Amino acid sequence: MKTTRTLFQDGDHKWLAIVRDPDKPGYLIDTNEYLITHGERGLLLDPGGAEIFPAVFSALSAEFDPSALTGIFASHQDPDICSSLALWLEFNPGMRCYVSWLWASFLPHFGGTGDTFVAIPDEGMEIPVDGLMLQAIPAHYLHASGNFHLYDKLARLLFSGDVGAALLPPGRDGLFVEDFDAHIRHAEAFHKRWMGSNEAKRQWCERVSGMAIDMLCPQHGAIYTGRDVERFINWFAELPVGITGG
Amino acid sequence: MSAALLPAVAAKPSGAAADLLRIVTINEQIKRVVGVSFKINIMALNAIFLAKRAGTAALGFGVLSNELRVFSRDLRNCMEALTGLIHDCVNEVSISLRNGRQDRLLAEVGQAGAAAALLGRVLQQRAAERDGHVRRLAALRRQLKRALDDAFQMVELGGVLAKSAKIEAAYGQSFAPSLAQVSGEFDGIVEEIRGSLEALRRSPFFAAH
Ligand SMILES: [Fe+2]
Ligand SMILES: [Fe+2]
Repeated sequence: MKTTRTLFQDGDHKWLAIVRDPDKPGYLIDTNEYLITHGERGLLLDPGGAEIFPAVFSALSAEFDPSALTGIFASHQDPDICSSLALWLEFNPGMRCYVSWLWASFLPHFGGTGDTFVAIPDEGMEIPVDGLMLQAIPAHYLHASGNFHLYDKLARLLFSGDVGAALLPPGRDGLFVEDFDAHIRHAEAFHKRWMGSNEAKRQWCERVSGMAIDMLCPQHGAIYTGRDVERFINWFAELPVGITGG
Repeated sequence: MSAALLPAVAAKPSGAAADLLRIVTINEQIKRVVGVSFKINIMALNAIFLAKRAGTAALGFGVLSNELRVFSRDLRNCMEALTGLIHDCVNEVSISLRNGRQDRLLAEVGQAGAAAALLGRVLQQRAAERDGHVRRLAALRRQLKRALDDAFQMVELGGVLAKSAKIEAAYGQSFAPSLAQVSGEFDGIVEEIRGSLEALRRSPFFAAH
């Protein structure tokens, strides 16, 4: 089973990270799921693949009533992002799934109906959770051609999907980045190969460097906090991407 | 296509997966029968022309050729209905396969904590849906079996027609040898279809349930 860690709490406004499953088979990439709760409601960010659903569901429901989930935010269309969709919908068939308009007709192959999907326009949109307004931030081509991150300006947390992801070797499973230089070595090859556009990367770096971010929370690897957020953005701005075999 | 031509699988599939493989085999067999029934149609057309040329010497043969043509059309219709049923079976079995995977994942949810009651309700609802699918597949299985039996009866009749044509051919005077050849081919083909249908009726898809 995965464990849950609280990243932020202010009254009933909360960010939970659902991370690290010691029982997960090694052939599945490790993922982080995040739950934002506000009032009585919750939004699940990149709920993960079908195979890890039992671990995520068990961990989440220890902290939160899954029938109170009103939505799923899918940063993009990958199977490690949301192939569990049909299973989550079992618990609340009325749940909405927010995803780039590019993928709104692709994701129903994972589950849901025509009513399930809310197509996010390229420029982004606000996503409500019981009165809390979250912002879908464009991150196209990083790595999917229709791609969004999710920003909570009250909590000052940015969910960054595959941006910031690191493929950590066994044993290095701390939730937060502790030694940036040592950590970023495990992120380099991933960003060079998975991220497709230097221009898109430049735009993203410019956009997020103007935002107040205490934590940058990727879908794989460890969370960047404090000064490491800025360090990461600067590192990424300098990194040439869209490179095979490099 | 024989079962031996199916893609090799590492482990012997069971349940819905095994059903799917059996349905694929049945469908391939049905496609063969459809192909053969087209062949009968063309042969019957040729036989009708031949009988016309033979004139009064082959009146009986001409009537039987017409009957065989009607038989080939009926057989094709019957096979089309079977293909429709097969399609419905594939649909049901595919749903069972997908649900089976989801059921396995839901069953792996350990401590659902406060959500235990909710999980219980979802599992219960899914069990009811599963029962519905099992019932529907069983009904389709029975329908398919009945349709196959009907097709088999039809082929028995086709066999009688082909054999009668063989007898009629003997009265064809100078046309007798060519009429005998055509009616012999009819008979061979109808026997081939009978063999295919017999194999279909023995499919474990019907026996296993
Ligand atoms: Fe991805
Ligand atoms: Fe990913």
